[in-house]
Amino acid sequence: MEESIVTYNAFHHVAWGTTISVYFWLVGASAGSFVISSFGWVFGIKRYKPLTMTASVTAIIMLLLVPFLLTWDLGKPVRFIYLLIPGYWHSTGPMAWGTLLICLYPMSMMVYSYFVIKSNQTFAKVFGIVAIVLALSTHWYTGVVMELNPGRFLNHTALAPLLFLTGAFISGIGLMNVIVWIRNMLLPEEKRFDWTLVYEMAQFMMYGIVFDIFLLFLDFMQTIYGSQNEVIGHGVVLMQVFRFPYLWLEMVIGLFIPLIILVTPLKRTKAGAIVASLLVAVGVYGMRIWWVMGGQYLQSFY
Amino acid sequence: MGDQEPQPKQHRSYGIQTPGTKGVRGKKRYAMVVDLRKCIGCMSCSIACKTEYGLPLGVWRTWVKVMEKGSYPNTKRIFMPRLCNHCDYPVCVRNCPTQATYKHEEGFVLQRYNRCIGCRTCMVACPYNARHLLPEKRTDGNLPRMVVDKCTFCIHRVKKGVLPSCVQACVGGARIFGDMNDPESEVSRLLSTETVAVLKPELGTSPAVYYIGADWEIMDEPHSYTNRSVQNREEFNDFKRNHKGDAFADIVEGESLMAEVGKNWIGYLKTIPHKAKETLAAFKIFLFD
Repeated sequence: MEESIVTYNAFHHVAWGTTISVYFWLVGASAGSFVISSFGWVFGIKRYKPLTMTASVTAIIMLLLVPFLLTWDLGKPVRFIYLLIPGYWHSTGPMAWGTLLICLYPMSMMVYSYFVIKSNQTFAKVFGIVAIVLALSTHWYTGVVMELNPGRFLNHTALAPLLFLTGAFISGIGLMNVIVWIRNMLLPEEKRFDWTLVYEMAQFMMYGIVFDIFLLFLDFMQTIYGSQNEVIGHGVVLMQVFRFPYLWLEMVIGLFIPLIILVTPLKRTKAGAIVASLLVAVGVYGMRIWWVMGGQYLQSFY
Repeated sequence: MGDQEPQPKQHRSYGIQTPGTKGVRGKKRYAMVVDLRKCIGCMSCSIACKTEYGLPLGVWRTWVKVMEKGSYPNTKRIFMPRLCNHCDYPVCVRNCPTQATYKHEEGFVLQRYNRCIGCRTCMVACPYNARHLLPEKRTDGNLPRMVVDKCTFCIHRVKKGVLPSCVQACVGGARIFGDMNDPESEVSRLLSTETVAVLKPELGTSPAVYYIGADWEIMDEPHSYTNRSVQNREEFNDFKRNHKGDAFADIVEGESLMAEVGKNWIGYLKTIPHKAKETLAAFKIFLFD
C-alpha cells in the first residue's frame, strides 16, 4: 500500500470547551444534590429531612452559576433572550428546550424550598415532584444536546443521557457528603448532622458507581466494535490525548478507587466515606471533559 | 386517464425551513460538482471566496485540502476543495435554537447574522467543519462579529444569474455549479454520466457537493488525523496556541491536557470584558435611544 500524508488542511476549532464541561458538571451536581433534598419531603424518608435545606440550597447555588457561565460563553451574550422569544424559539433545537429547563428548574426548587421552610408537607411534596422531574430533565438534556450530533461519533449514543444522569447522581451525593463534612466541622455538636446519613448516602453512591461502570463498559464495547471512526476515536482520542480525564480522572480516581473504598470496611469510617465522596465528585468532571472536548477533537483535523 | 402526463406533486409550503428538494419536479435545487481530475490545487477558489466576503484571517468558507501519495519517485499530490455541503437534511438547521440558520427551498443552507447568538451549536452539529465563528476584532467594525458564518453558495450572485465566486475563479474548470433538477444543466449531465462521491454519506445528510475522482484516503476522517505531515501538525499547533479565547477548546498536541484546559478557561475569562462592553452598549441603546 502506498504512503499518503495530509500536507495542508484548514485549521478548525473545537467549538465547545471548558465552559460547557464545567456547566455539565454543575448541572449534574445540582440535580444529584436535589435528589438528596427530596428524600425527606417527597419520598418520605424522614431521617433525611434535616438535610433538605442544605441540599436544596447547594442545588440552587450550583444552578445559579450556570446562566452566567452560559451567557458569557455566547458570542452575543445580549441575545440570550432570543432563546426565550416565541418568534425565535426553534422547537427542533435541543438547546431551545434546554433553556426552558434551565429557567424552570431553579424556580421550581425555590418554590419547593419555600414550602419546606413553611413545613407545608402537601405542597412541598407536589413541588418536590415537579422539581425532581425538572432536575432529571435538565441533566438529561445535557446528554441529549451532545448526543444529537450524528457526526460526533463518540457522543452519538443513546447511552449519553443515562451516563450523564448516573454521573449526576453520584457526583451530587459526593458533593453533599463533602458539604456535610465541612458543615459538621464548623458547627457546634448539637447542630451537626448524623454521620450515619453520610454512610448511607455513600452506600447509594456505591450502587451508582457500579451502574456507571456498567454503562461505561457498554459504551466501550460500542466504540471498540464500532466503525473505524469510533475505534480510532477510542484508541487515539480517549486513550492518548484525553487519557488523563478519561482513564485516570474518571475511571481510576472517580470510580475504581471509591468503589474499592466503599466495598471494604473503610466505608464505615469518616475518612473513607469522605475521601470516596470527594474523589467521585472530582472524577465525574473528568467525564465531562472527555465527553465534551474529546467528542469534538478528531473532527477538527478533518 | 393512462395517456395523461403525471402532474407535478404539489408541495406544502414550509416557510423558510423547507424539506429537501433533490429530484422534486418544478423546484430548483442548486448543487456543485467538483471534478478532482481537473483541480490543480491553485487555491484560487479560497482566495476568491475570501475576497468576495472580506473574510478575516483564520476562517474559511472554502479551502483545499492537500495530500501527497506514493513513494519517491512515484509520487502524486491530490487535492480536495471543501465547502458547505448544503445538505438536504442539514443537522445544523435542525439543531439551531433560534432559527438563525435555515434551509432555502432552492437548496441553499443560509445563516441570518441578526438571529445568531453565537452558541456554536451548528458548528458542533456540522460533520464537515463548514462553519466558523467570526472573530471579535475585524478591520471594519460594521461587519458581523462573534456570530457563525458559512458558505452561502453565493446566493447573492446566483440570484442575479452569476456563478458563485469560487466557481468563476476556478482556472481548471473543476467546480461546476447549477440546478441538479434541470436535466439540461451541466451538473445534471455530470451526475448522470460520471461516478460521483459525497463526504460522509453514512450520516444521511444528503450533501449537494459531489466529487468526481475522489480518493478515499483524503475523504476519510480518521486518516486526516493519523496521517498528517509533521509540518501540518506543527502549523496547527501554532494556530491553536495563537487563537486561545472565544471559549474554544483547542488542545495543543504534546502539551499537558489539563494545562490546556486551564488555558482555555483563561481564554474564556479574557473574552468577558469585551462582551460586557458590548452588553452595556446594547442596554444603553435600548434605554436611552
